[in-house]
Amino acid sequence: MRGTRHTSTLYPRDPTGLMSPQRHHHPPAAKTARPAPGSPSAARGALSFTRVLTGSTPSPTRLSPPPPPSRRPDVLPRAPFRARPHFRGVPLCASARWLRSARRGSAELSRPGVFIVMSEKDSGEDPKEETSNEEGNEHKAEDLGSTDSNQEKEQEMEPVPMTRKRPEPKPPSQPAATEKPAAETLKASDSSAAVQTGWGYWGSWGKSLLSTASATVATVGQGISNVIEKTETTLGIPSPREISSETRDATRGSENAAASTTDAVEDGSSFPIAGALGVLSTISTAVQSTGKSVISGGLDALEFIGKKTMDVIAEGDPGFKKTKGLMNRNSTLSQVLREAKEKEEQQTATKVTMATEKKAHYGLLFDEFQGLSHLEALEMLSRESESKVKSVLSALSGEELDTLKEEMKQLKEAFSLPEFFEEEEEEKKGDEEFTKEVTELFSELRISSSPAKLITVRTSAHEWIAQFNSSLPKEEKESEENQEVESRDGDHDAKKSVEDIHAFAIRSLAELTACSIEMFHKTAALFLHGQKQEVTATDRAKSLSQMTIVLCKELSTFSKEFTTCLTTAGVKEKADVLNPLITGVFLEASNSASYIQDAFQLLLPVLQISVIEARTELSQ
Amino acid sequence: MEAIWLYQFRLIVIGDSTVGKSCLIRRFTEGRFAQISDPTVGVDFFSRLVEIEPGKRIKLQIWDTAGQERFRSITRAYYRNSVGGLLLFDITNRRSFQNVHEWLEETKVHVQPYQIVFVLVGHKCDLDTQRQVTRHEAEKLAAAYGMKYIETSARDAINVEKAFTDLTRDIYELVKRGDISIQEGWEGVKSGFVPNVVHSSEEVVKSDRRCLC
Repeated sequence: MRGTRHTSTLYPRDPTGLMSPQRHHHPPAAKTARPAPGSPSAARGALSFTRVLTGSTPSPTRLSPPPPPSRRPDVLPRAPFRARPHFRGVPLCASARWLRSARRGSAELSRPGVFIVMSEKDSGEDPKEETSNEEGNEHKAEDLGSTDSNQEKEQEMEPVPMTRKRPEPKPPSQPAATEKPAAETLKASDSSAAVQTGWGYWGSWGKSLLSTASATVATVGQGISNVIEKTETTLGIPSPREISSETRDATRGSENAAASTTDAVEDGSSFPIAGALGVLSTISTAVQSTGKSVISGGLDALEFIGKKTMDVIAEGDPGFKKTKGLMNRNSTLSQVLREAKEKEEQQTATKVTMATEKKAHYGLLFDEFQGLSHLEALEMLSRESESKVKSVLSALSGEELDTLKEEMKQLKEAFSLPEFFEEEEEEKKGDEEFTKEVTELFSELRISSSPAKLITVRTSAHEWIAQFNSSLPKEEKESEENQEVESRDGDHDAKKSVEDIHAFAIRSLAELTACSIEMFHKTAALFLHGQKQEVTATDRAKSLSQMTIVLCKELSTFSKEFTTCLTTAGVKEKADVLNPLITGVFLEASNSASYIQDAFQLLLPVLQISVIEARTELSQ
Repeated sequence: MEAIWLYQFRLIVIGDSTVGKSCLIRRFTEGRFAQISDPTVGVDFFSRLVEIEPGKRIKLQIWDTAGQERFRSITRAYYRNSVGGLLLFDITNRRSFQNVHEWLEETKVHVQPYQIVFVLVGHKCDLDTQRQVTRHEAEKLAAAYGMKYIETSARDAINVEKAFTDLTRDIYELVKRGDISIQEGWEGVKSGFVPNVVHSSEEVVKSDRRCLC
C-alpha cells in the first residue's frame, strides 16, 4: 500500500485523462451465466435478447468458463434472469469489446452459445454502487491529490525537513473554498455510524465531495490535499510525503497499478451515471466490508480498496491493457463502434488479398450501411435534447416542476422494455407478421415517414433463407442421382458454402441493424421537427418500445434461421470450422439487438422535449 | 466495399427543398434515379469511393441535408465537419437560384473556423425548356464567390460523376498542397489506411500520413 502512495508521488495524475482506462468500464459481473452447450444446435437456443456481456469474459476465448464465483460479490444478490437491461456505459463497452474480440478472429470462439445475462435490476442498483465506488475513489483522489501537491510543496519549500511528521500549515494563498471538502470529510467521519445504515449515506457524501471537487478543477489537487492533510492530522496518520520517502524503492508493478488507479479517479469525478457492475460492485463489497474502517482507519483502507480494484481488474480481464482504448470515459456507442470499425479497416487493409476475410466484418458492413452515421446523428439529437431538458428543468420550480417531473417519470417507465423471453412458439410466425407489426407500430407514431426500407431489407433476407431452404432437398436428391456431375459443376452455384452463408448472415444483421438505427434517427428528427400530432410522448414511447422488441425478436429469429442454414450446409464440416461461424452469427445478432436497444434509449430525451413542448402549449 | 483509400472527405450537399439533392447523390452513389423521392428528414448519409488517379482512391462521405427550413437546426450541425460542399439550385426554379446567396451566408456562419470548398450546381439541366436561370448568370454568381459552376441532371446522368470528382480533385489538390490539413477534432478530411502491399512507390511515401487513431 505504501508503494501505491509512493507511486502516485512519482507518477502524478494524468491531467489529460488519456491514460485513464478502466473506470466505468469495469467488467460487469455476470448475473447468470448459461452453461455452454456442447453442440451448435444446442447453442441455437441460447440467444436471448439480452445483451451479451463480456465483462468477465472480455474475449471470446474466455467465454467458455463461467465467471469465477469470487468475482460475484455478495452485493447485488437479487436480480433474476431477465431480459436485458438498458443503461449506457458498461454494456456498450462490453459489447464493443465483444465486437472487437470477435473481430480478432471468430475462430477463437470455441464454444457457442454462452451468453451472460445481466438483469435490469443490476442497472437499477448501479448508480448507488457507482456512487459508493466513486466515493472510494474520491478518497483515493484525496490521497493522491495530497501526495501530488505535497510533492509540489516539497519542491517549493526545499528546507522543510523530511522527518516532519505532520503536514505544514495551510499556505495562506489557499482559497477558502478548499476548507469545504475538509469539513465534509470530517463530518463524514464524525457520523461514521451512518455508514452502517445503508448506501444512501455514502451516496450523498460522495456527491458532496464530488461537487466540491468539480467546482474548481484547478484547485482540486490543492484543496483535496488539504482535506487529506487535515484528515491525517486528525487520525494521526503519517503524511504521504513521509510515506513516499520511505518507499522510494517500491516495485514498478505497483507503480503502474497506482497510476491506473489514479486515472480511474480522474474519470470518476466527471462521469456521474456510468452503470457499472463487476469491479464496482466488488469495490462496494470491499467498501461495505471495510465500512467503518474506511473512515476510522483512513487511508489504509482506501488503499486496500484501490489495490483490490486493480487486482480485480487484472484478474478479471487479462486483455485489460488492450481494451484500454475502448474504455475512455466519454465513449458513446458510435465511438466504440467506429473504433471497432476502424480496426477492422486497418486489418482488412493489411490483408488486401484475402477477399473472403472482408466479407464478414460486421463493423465494416454496419458502417457501409450508414449505421454508424445514423447512430452518431441520433446521438447528437439525443444529446442536444438532453441539455435542453436539463435547462428547462433547472428553470422550473415548485408545482410546475413536480408535474413535469411526474410526466417525465411516466415517460421513462415506457422506456423500460418489458421482460421478454424467447418464445419458441413464435419461431414459426408468419412471414407477414413482422411487416404488419412494424407498419402498425410505426403508424402509431404519427410521423411522416415509413419503415419501408427496413421492411425491404428484412424481406430480402428472409427470401434468401427461404430460397436456401427450398434448394436443399432437391439438391440432395440430385447429388444422390448424379453425384459426379454435381460435384463438378453444380457445386458452386447451387450449394452455398458455410462461409457464404455466414457472410450473408452477418451482412444481413448489419444491414437490418443499420436500418433500424436509421429509422430511430429519422423518428427522432421528426419528433423534434415534425408537425405537431395528437399523440402523447408516452404513447409514442410505448410504440417504440414495442418496435424495439419486435426488431430484437426478429434478429433472434434471423440468427436461428441462419444458423440452421449453417448447420444444414455444414454437416460435413468439422466442428472447429462450423462452430465459430455459428457463434459469430449469434454473437452479432445479440450485439445487434443491444445496439438497437441502446439506440432506442437515445430517444428518451427527444421525447422528453415533446413532453415539455406539450406542457408549454397547454399553459399558453 | 473497399477499405483502402488514401483520404476520406466529407462533403455536404445543400440547397433549397426539391432542387434534387437526394436524387443527385443517389445517382452518384447508387447509379439509379428514383422518379418519386420522399423529402429528406434531417440528414441522410451516403458514401462512395472515387478514384482520382490510378490507384488513388478517396472515400467520399456525403451528407445529404434536408432542404426544408424546419430541419435547419439539424443540418447546420453538419457544416462544421465538411471539407467540401455542393450547393444545388434547380435551373427551372428561379427562387432556388436566388437563395444561393443565403445558403452561402448560412454556411459561413456555421462553418467557422473552417472552410468549405463549394461547387455551385445547376441541377435538372435535362429540363432545358423550362429553364429560368441562364448558364451565364449562374457562372457569374459562382465566380463572384470563387466557386466552380456545373450543370447536372440526375435523371439523364449528365455531369453527375464530374460534379463530384472535380470537387474531390480540387480538395485533394488543396490537401496535397497543405492548404487543407488534417486536424484533430475535425472530420472534414481523414487519412485512410495505406495497405502494406502498395504497388506505386508514390504511395509508400505517403504512408506517414496514416495517423488514424
